[in-house]
Amino acid sequence: MWNRSKLYAAAKILNGALRPRPYLAQVFYPLPPPRRVCSEDSLFHRDSKIFDGSLHHFHLFRIARCTIYSGSPYSTSPGHGDGLVCWKCGEPAPLAGPFLSCVSCRAVQPVDSSVDYFQIFGQERRYELKGENLERIYKEWQKKLHPDLVHSKSEKEKSYADEQSARVIDAYRTLSEPLSRALYLLQLAGILVDEENTIGDPELLAEMMDVREAIEEASDQKTLKEIQSQIRRKHQEWSKSFKDAFDKRDFDFAIIATQRMRYYERAIEEIVKKL
Amino acid sequence: MADEIYTVAYDSETSADERAKPVPADIAIGIDIGTSKCSFAIWNGAEVEVLQNTQIQSTIPSHVLFKDEMPPEGFSYEVPRSGAEILSGSDAFNMKRLIGRVDTDPVVKSSKMLPFMVQTFGIGQIPLIAVPVNNVWRSTTPEEVLAIFLAELKENAEHKLKRPIRKAVLTVPISFSRLQLTRIEQACAMAGIHVFRLMPEPTAVALLYAQQQQQQIIHENMGSGMEKVALIFSMGAGFCDVAITITAGGVSQIKALLGIPVGGEDMLQNIIHYLFPDFGSLEKMKSNRLLRIAVQNAIHELSSQTSVEVKVDLRDGKIKSRSLTRVEFEEVNHKVFVKCEKLIAQCLLDARLTAEDLSDVILVGGCSSVPKIRSLVLSLCKKEDSYDGIDPLEASVRGAATEGAIASGASDASGSLDLLTIQVTTTSLGIRVDGGDFVPIIRRNTSVPVRKEMVFTTANDDQAEALVVVYEGESRRAEENIILGYFKITGIPSGPRGSAEVGICMDVDTSNVLRVYGGAHLLRTQQAVSPFLEVRMPMADIGQGWSVQALVKIYGSTMDLAATPPNEVQK
Repeated sequence: MWNRSKLYAAAKILNGALRPRPYLAQVFYPLPPPRRVCSEDSLFHRDSKIFDGSLHHFHLFRIARCTIYSGSPYSTSPGHGDGLVCWKCGEPAPLAGPFLSCVSCRAVQPVDSSVDYFQIFGQERRYELKGENLERIYKEWQKKLHPDLVHSKSEKEKSYADEQSARVIDAYRTLSEPLSRALYLLQLAGILVDEENTIGDPELLAEMMDVREAIEEASDQKTLKEIQSQIRRKHQEWSKSFKDAFDKRDFDFAIIATQRMRYYERAIEEIVKKL
Repeated sequence: MADEIYTVAYDSETSADERAKPVPADIAIGIDIGTSKCSFAIWNGAEVEVLQNTQIQSTIPSHVLFKDEMPPEGFSYEVPRSGAEILSGSDAFNMKRLIGRVDTDPVVKSSKMLPFMVQTFGIGQIPLIAVPVNNVWRSTTPEEVLAIFLAELKENAEHKLKRPIRKAVLTVPISFSRLQLTRIEQACAMAGIHVFRLMPEPTAVALLYAQQQQQQIIHENMGSGMEKVALIFSMGAGFCDVAITITAGGVSQIKALLGIPVGGEDMLQNIIHYLFPDFGSLEKMKSNRLLRIAVQNAIHELSSQTSVEVKVDLRDGKIKSRSLTRVEFEEVNHKVFVKCEKLIAQCLLDARLTAEDLSDVILVGGCSSVPKIRSLVLSLCKKEDSYDGIDPLEASVRGAATEGAIASGASDASGSLDLLTIQVTTTSLGIRVDGGDFVPIIRRNTSVPVRKEMVFTTANDDQAEALVVVYEGESRRAEENIILGYFKITGIPSGPRGSAEVGICMDVDTSNVLRVYGGAHLLRTQQAVSPFLEVRMPMADIGQGWSVQALVKIYGSTMDLAATPPNEVQK
């Protein structure tokens, strides 16, 4: 049986109580209302008596959702289905590629939430990204969309620029990180995984406690780096498992893979802090 | 008047007729208000020109002298012209360290060693600042002092450019809260300057760096060029800031920003304390000033010498003399250096980069000439030498003037203004939930523009109204962060606690304006009950956390919001 302090330490690393991750901050997701996925039998609910007063501490950052739905009350965009011509000069949208700014008059277009993040970056809706450098495309979009570059234009266009630019920033961040990219893919498939979900898999728990102990006991950089590369390898393995599961539409396993990835990332972060 | 024009090195290939390009009428000037010195610069159509005041100085001491003549409207003031005037004891300075801070702030407490009155009660209010004028202590405020020399800068610039100046880009420390930024805007308004943009100091330097990289690529015809990663370390008299930027093709993405209110002033005070422990009472103000200047000069000399003799003629027959070695200086200021090291390490961590990823390290600010600072930054960044294309003392103001030109819509035939900087937020922004926890909605180091929403729920059954209290900061406890404002959401559909849905959205635009939107959703839909309320933050004159205590006293937890527990809001 695990003792209390050990459990506490495990809980800390597993639930990221040290510092919540900036992942999954999703803006303008083009989604139907998501289906929520929760682990039914979480460690803390089973053992909540042990934790009594400190229990709520772990729930501190457990905000379930941070999504903005299309047509939310703050959006200035008229939504999609407007007919794809430039609002300013009437030029039709190009046949290929997302229509974020007009090729003819360079006017920034209103946000069309049916365009997903993969389309913005010219990628297929798959976990593995193809060749092209995201950072380069990101910067190219910003050159066309960033509100600082439309300063002489109308308020209307400036607000479009604000929204488009923010959306491209979010798209870039979401796609450039393996975990957030995986979660976004699931979300596009209609599945929302809770960010701070507790974990019930005893095997993973035991493994993570061992890792934590190893990190704590590691006395030199060399050992830490060894642990780090071990965890990185595991992260890669599970990243591949996610890809395979997602390709097979095995969403239950894909969700398990994202949980693994999250905990490995946290462990890597712990190590980086100590290095 | 000598009219020396500062030429930016990378601009030397610009041809003469490009230089003759007309300057758009209303280009914003760049202003660097430092803790100890300020300067101003403008894009003249071809390059950035650092302007000089009527005394032909390109930097002006950030001091304001209060005169003992008594004009009818009260008292007069001016920017001091000489060291002797500074010694008269009627001046106020270091106001950038004090602006927008309350009397419980450690920075205010440490300002008690300054040779003017800083009166505090330790109750979370603005301190009283006063200088002696004609045997009376005259009170003033940091905003007033800043406004006076901003007005002086404006007047000088108008005289020089022969046109009215309306807009300005100012550089500010990263660690400034939104409340402090508001105070800077107020000071500018008092001086008749419209703030076009406030940019964190190292990001102004990042802009210059991006410009130089871009010009080099155009010059060497290298196509779109490589991506360059630079760490910028900026340390002046009052503040220490670190930024990491990734630049390619004229577009810079700021990756991480981190700053603390630690600077040369802290080192100066440590050394004064070390050499002359009996220093510091208001009664001996004149001798204190003499000591201050002598020690300051000694520290400057220690940048090139290993030991120095501090000799102060106190002008009352007494001469104080002490020797100071560089080793002593570094020991006494050990804590300051440790703080700098931590700042750099954390900034790299935030940017998820390591020293090996850095292409260049840029050191700017007055303290960048301190040997220990140089060596610690370079060793942490694993570099032999720092980037040498940027003048450490003019970097900030030049960057601000460049941003002023870009934001004013100026263009340049050589393409040196085709630049874009994607800024990030400097603090986390969020709200208070569950009676006192802080939940960030927009996290620190998020690229702007950004808009994010989170859904919260009610803490009580049939709760029709909810109080939204907005904070900025990194603490998990709301009260330890800085309050920016509050408002009430009404018309929440009734139901058991945890069932209602309240949407809070935060929006930061590229001018760093924060807007908070809030409203109740109809249950199980994303439809708003009524139009959302939009509030610009910080709200004017928000009462330093007292207001929240008052709200809690009156309403208790009846209007609290709660984080939605995921297991209870199953769909």
